Amino acid sequence: MNPSEILHLRAISHELPAFVSRLSERGIRSLSLRDITAGDIRNSRIILIEAHIDQKALLTFRDDLAACLDAGGTIVFNGHLVYPIFDGLETFRVAAGRGVNDLIIERCQEHPVFSGVDCQDLSFRRGVAGFYARGANPPPAGAIVLHRLKKDGSAIDWLWQRPQGGQILMHSGNTMWMYLNDKTTAARIVPQLLDWVMAGAPAMTANGENNACA
Amino acid sequence: MRIAFVDGGTYYHHATYHDPELRPYFSRNIYVLDLPTADLSDVDCLYIASRQNPADLIAAHDAIAAFLAQGKMVVAWGESHAEQWLDGVQWTPGATNFWWWLEPGADSGLRLKAPQHPLFRHIQLADATWHRHGTLTVPDGAVSLIDAVEGGSVLYDDCRGPGRKIVSTLDPCYHHGSYFMPATTRFLHGFLPWLKNGAGEETLAAAGV
Repeated sequence: MNPSEILHLRAISHELPAFVSRLSERGIRSLSLRDITAGDIRNSRIILIEAHIDQKALLTFRDDLAACLDAGGTIVFNGHLVYPIFDGLETFRVAAGRGVNDLIIERCQEHPVFSGVDCQDLSFRRGVAGFYARGANPPPAGAIVLHRLKKDGSAIDWLWQRPQGGQILMHSGNTMWMYLNDKTTAARIVPQLLDWVMAGAPAMTANGENNACA
Repeated sequence: MRIAFVDGGTYYHHATYHDPELRPYFSRNIYVLDLPTADLSDVDCLYIASRQNPADLIAAHDAIAAFLAQGKMVVAWGESHAEQWLDGVQWTPGATNFWWWLEPGADSGLRLKAPQHPLFRHIQLADATWHRHGTLTVPDGAVSLIDAVEGGSVLYDDCRGPGRKIVSTLDPCYHHGSYFMPATTRFLHGFLPWLKNGAGEETLAAAGV
């Protein structure tokens, strides 16, 4: 994958300079949502979207995001989806409970982005639960659930091959690259995510035999 | 008080504004990019939710200043660099300790500074206690409601005019809208009814503020 075909859409606040540096090291573009054109989206093969993104502004690029996907592109979306940015996706649903036991994460399916990442390190940071996700952007039919909340089954990470083409890697919590500097296995996410996108974000197919949540 | 919620388009702004228990406190929603040219004649208070893009609010500086010049009210929350778009605000960055409460006997570092202020009939210091993102210099004549032990304020009320400004380095909308940190929800459930009912203007003088 030519890194110029990968676009990181920067949020308008609460940015993580260390992540932008990692992108820069690999030649990946990082542009503010306020500075992009429809062409920037349509000409990208892979788009990484921050949880703190202005979703109202992103909504104005709805057709361009769909065109990127229709052309076989990949979108990695972080955050609670609250506007109809993508056809076929429902908006965020908060988990039924907010206690420690409600927020434990379990892996349903292995994926290269999360290889070697201990779910304990996603469930807890310094012993505190809830950083990773507190609810789900409900997965559409056919999506492969990677992680879910053990208690209520909220699907927090999933990968969806759209019938019209392209794929969405969804994470319904704070930006998955916020773990970049953690001293745990969660720090593996960023390099593995970037390896995956640099490899062209190869699709995975559902494998019921390997689904630990089935 | 007719309160307009200034919305940066994020999920947490959406969740806060549309929270059924909070929605009645807001008269309308103004998308931050529309603020520079918005008709604010039917608004008494601009509630500028936490964690906005400073550049968007810098573009609205003149509209905000004109709004205050009419004697109206602005509430500016943390992590939006109010010092860049709200006249008279001075912010000092500080390291944010998200983890202070994990230590036994931990001290939040927040101090109630004006217990007589009418807001504190609606919230307690514990409801404003999660973490802070730097501190503010209190302008002469303004009143700090909550101070930080390292110096400066995290929440002050500036009635000197023109207009009235409540400025804070707290970020309740972000955490409430992320379903994270119950104190932020308690804070909004106390602060917003107080604001909606006039922000205690009739009692400020009686309280010596």
